[in-house]
Amino acid sequence: MNGYGGRILRVNLTNGTVTKEPTSPDVARNFIGGRGFGIYFLLKEVPKGADPLGPENKLIISSGPISGMMIPGGGKCDWTTKAPLTGGYASASMGGHFTAEMRYAGLDSIILEGISPKPVYLFIDDDKIELRDASDLWGKATFTVEKQFKEKLGEEFQVAVIGVGGENLVPYACINHDYGRQAGRGGVGAVMGSKKVKAIVVHGTKSIPVADMDAYRKAGMALYKACKDSEGLKDWTRYGTTIVVSWCDEVGALPTRNFSAGSFEDGKNLYGPVMREKIVITDKGCFGCPSPCGKYSRNKKYNSYVEGPEYETIGMMGSNLGIDDIEAVAQANLLCDDLGIDTISAGNAIGWAMECYEKGIFTKKDTDGLDLKFGNVEATFTLIEKIARREGFGALLSEGVKRASKKVGKGSEKFAIQVKGMEQSAYATHNATAMLLAYMTCDVGAHHNRAWAITYDLQVGREKVVPEKVARVIWLQNFRPMFDVLGGCRLQWVELGIDRDLYVPALEAITGIQRSWEDLDKVGERIWNLTRLFWARENEGFGRAWDMPSPRFYEEAPKSGATKGQITKLEDINRLLDMYYEQRGWTSDGLPKPETIESLGLKAVVA
Amino acid sequence: MPATLRPSGSLRDVVGGQAEVQVEAGRTVRETLAALGIVPEVVALVVVNEEQRSKDYVIQEGDVIRVLAVIGGG
Amino acid sequence: MRLYVDNSKCSGCNACRVACSLNLFSENNPKKSALVIEPQFPAPGVYNVKVCTQCGDCAAVCPTEAIKQDGQGAYYVDFAECNLCEACVPECPEEVMFVRSKLADTAWKCNLCGDCVAVCGTSALWIAEIEAVAA
Repeated sequence: MNGYGGRILRVNLTNGTVTKEPTSPDVARNFIGGRGFGIYFLLKEVPKGADPLGPENKLIISSGPISGMMIPGGGKCDWTTKAPLTGGYASASMGGHFTAEMRYAGLDSIILEGISPKPVYLFIDDDKIELRDASDLWGKATFTVEKQFKEKLGEEFQVAVIGVGGENLVPYACINHDYGRQAGRGGVGAVMGSKKVKAIVVHGTKSIPVADMDAYRKAGMALYKACKDSEGLKDWTRYGTTIVVSWCDEVGALPTRNFSAGSFEDGKNLYGPVMREKIVITDKGCFGCPSPCGKYSRNKKYNSYVEGPEYETIGMMGSNLGIDDIEAVAQANLLCDDLGIDTISAGNAIGWAMECYEKGIFTKKDTDGLDLKFGNVEATFTLIEKIARREGFGALLSEGVKRASKKVGKGSEKFAIQVKGMEQSAYATHNATAMLLAYMTCDVGAHHNRAWAITYDLQVGREKVVPEKVARVIWLQNFRPMFDVLGGCRLQWVELGIDRDLYVPALEAITGIQRSWEDLDKVGERIWNLTRLFWARENEGFGRAWDMPSPRFYEEAPKSGATKGQITKLEDINRLLDMYYEQRGWTSDGLPKPETIESLGLKAVVA
Repeated sequence: MPATLRPSGSLRDVVGGQAEVQVEAGRTVRETLAALGIVPEVVALVVVNEEQRSKDYVIQEGDVIRVLAVIGGG
Repeated sequence: MRLYVDNSKCSGCNACRVACSLNLFSENNPKKSALVIEPQFPAPGVYNVKVCTQCGDCAAVCPTEAIKQDGQGAYYVDFAECNLCEACVPECPEEVMFVRSKLADTAWKCNLCGDCVAVCGTSALWIAEIEAVAA
C-alpha cells in the first residue's frame, strides 16, 4: 500500500507469539497513522476497565505516512496506551530515528499485548522478528542498554528502551531512544515495564512505496527549500526550544517554585544563549530534520554528556525547583533519562514536595532526611533516583502529584499542579486564559503540545475571555496533533513558519489519497472526540470536573514577576469551559453529544 | 539611510507578507514593532547585525534586525 | 567537483541519505544511499560523515569498466554494466563504495547529483572544485 509499510506487527507477550497483519486501507484512509492508528486500536482492542498495568492493556507504537520520508521532520513515533498515570488516554510522541526504521522494516504499527513471564526484548531485522531473553538487561540504565545493542548489532539498529523507572512501574516512566529522545508522558514506560519488555530494537532495509515518485520528490524538495529559506532557521537551530526560556521569563510563563510565579529572579542563568555558550557541543537532529532542536551537551561540571536540556526540562527541573544552574539542570535531565522517568512530571512532583517542605507539611522525618528547600540541587538528584526506584520518600512522589497530594492532604491538593492526574508542563498560566484552557482540555492531561495558545493570549489580551480564544484553542487542538498522526514534527510549522499547505501535495503523492487541510483538520477533530469518549468510557462520572485546573491559577496570584498580582477568575474558567463545550458540540458536562458523534461519522467506531 | 527589519515566519503575515521592512532609526525595537502592529511581547529573540539585543535597543542607521516570534510554541 | 562535508555541522538527521536513494534508485530507502553517517554517542557526541571524494580508485579497478566519469568529473556506476564483482569496494579509501546484493543487483556510489546538499538544513554538505591539497 502506497505510503505505508503495509503491516501491523502484533506481539503477544503472554504466549510469546509475533504475527503480522496487513494494514487496513480503510483505517489508513480514516485515521492516517500515528496517533490516529493509536486511538483506533486502543478503543477497539483494549476492553473497558482494563488495568493499565495488566495484560489487557496494550501499547500501540505507530509511525505515519511521512515517517522515514524525504519530508522535514518525518521522525516522530506515537506511543498510545491507557495511561497508568491518569487512567485515561495517553499518547506520547517520540522523536529520533525509530519511526523511520520501523517503516523500513515494513511496519506501520507495533502492538504489544499481554504480559511476558520473563524479561524480553523485541528484535526486528526486516522479516526476522523474535522475542529474546532480556534477563541480563533488566535493572540496567537506558544508555547502557542502548550502547550495548548498538555495539552488538550496529549503528543502523534503532533502540527504544525503558529504565528502572519503567521496570518499577513508576506511573510517569518514559521510553528512551537515541540517547536523549523520549516517549515521555503518561507512563508509557510503565506499560512497557508491566509487559516485561525491556527494549525494542529495529532495523529495516525495505523501500517505502509511494504513489507518485516525481510529485513526491518535488513536494519534498519544496518543503526543504521553504525550511532552508526561512528567516528563523539559523536561530532556531542554534538554540532549539531554549529560545523561549527568556521569553517565558519576560512574560511570566516560566514556572517558578512550583508554579507560584511565572518569572524567576535568577532565570537569566538558564537562558538559551547561556546554555549554548556553556555546555552545548553539537546539534542533534531527529530523522529528516532541517532545523534540529536537539542540543547535545558536554557537562564539564558533572563530567557527563546529555541531549538537552530543552525548554520543558529547564522549566521543570530549573526555575520550577528554584535552581538557576544550567549544568545542574542538565545533570538532572541525564539522571531522569538514564533511569527512565519523565522530566516534566518528575520536576513537577519534586516542586510540589519542596513547597510542602517549605510550608512545614513535610519535615526531614518524611523526606528521608533531605533538606527539601527550593534550590537544593543535591536533594533533587537524590529524589530523582528514589522516585525511579520507588524507595522511601520517592515512592510517594512516584505516584504523581494528584495521588500523592490526596494521600498527604493538609491543603497540598491545592498546589498539586495537574489536570486529570497529569502534571502540568512548563507554562505558568495565572494570566493566560487560552493557554489555561488548552491545559484544562488537553486529551492526555496538563500537557502543552496540543494547543500552544499562549502567544495568542498576548496578541488579543491575556485576561480576555472571548469566543475567539476558545476557537483558537480548538483549531490548534484539531490541527497541531495532526503532525503526530502523520508521523512528523510540528516544529517546522511552529518555528520556521512553513506554510502548512506545502505538506498536502507531499502527502497526496506519497499515499495517492487526495487530501486538503480542511479534510485533515476534520480527521483531527474526529480523533479529538474519540479520545474524549475513551476518557468517558474508562472513568465513571467523567465530565466537567475533570477539566478543572489547579486552584493555584484562580486563587493565588503570583507575588512577584511579570504576572505579579494577576490571576484568572473562577467564573472566567467556567465561562471558558461553557464556550469550549458549546463550540465542540459537547454537553455542558463536557461529553460529545450524540449528534456530534453522528456528524463526525464516529457512530460505528464507538458502537 | 533607514534600517532593515526582517520578521520571521508567521510575523511576516502581520506586515503583509513582506520578507523585510524598512524602519526608521532612532526608535527602540519595541516601539518599532508596536508601530508595525506586532505585539512586542510575542517576539522571543531580537538579533541586530548578528548580535542578540534587547527590545529596548535603539535602532541605528543601516542596522539589519531579525526578529523571531514564538507563535506556534514548543 | 566533489562533495564536501563539515562533520561539526551534521546533526545526523539522514535527510541526505533518503534524498540520495531517491536519486540513485528512485526508491525511498537510506540503506541504498552513497553517504555514511556514523553517530558517536553518548561520547564524544559527534557524527562522522563519509562522502565520496571522486578520487576514481573504484573506476581504476573495475574489470567491466562500469564506473564511468561524467561531464562534471563525477564517477558514477553504469548499473547495466556492473557484474557485482565487488572489486571496487575494498579500493575505496572513504568506504563509500557500496555493494549490498540483497538490496540491489548493482554496485553504487555518489554521482554528485547534489540532492543531499539541497535537503541539508545545517549546510554540512556542499559541492565544490576539488582542492589541490586534500582538505
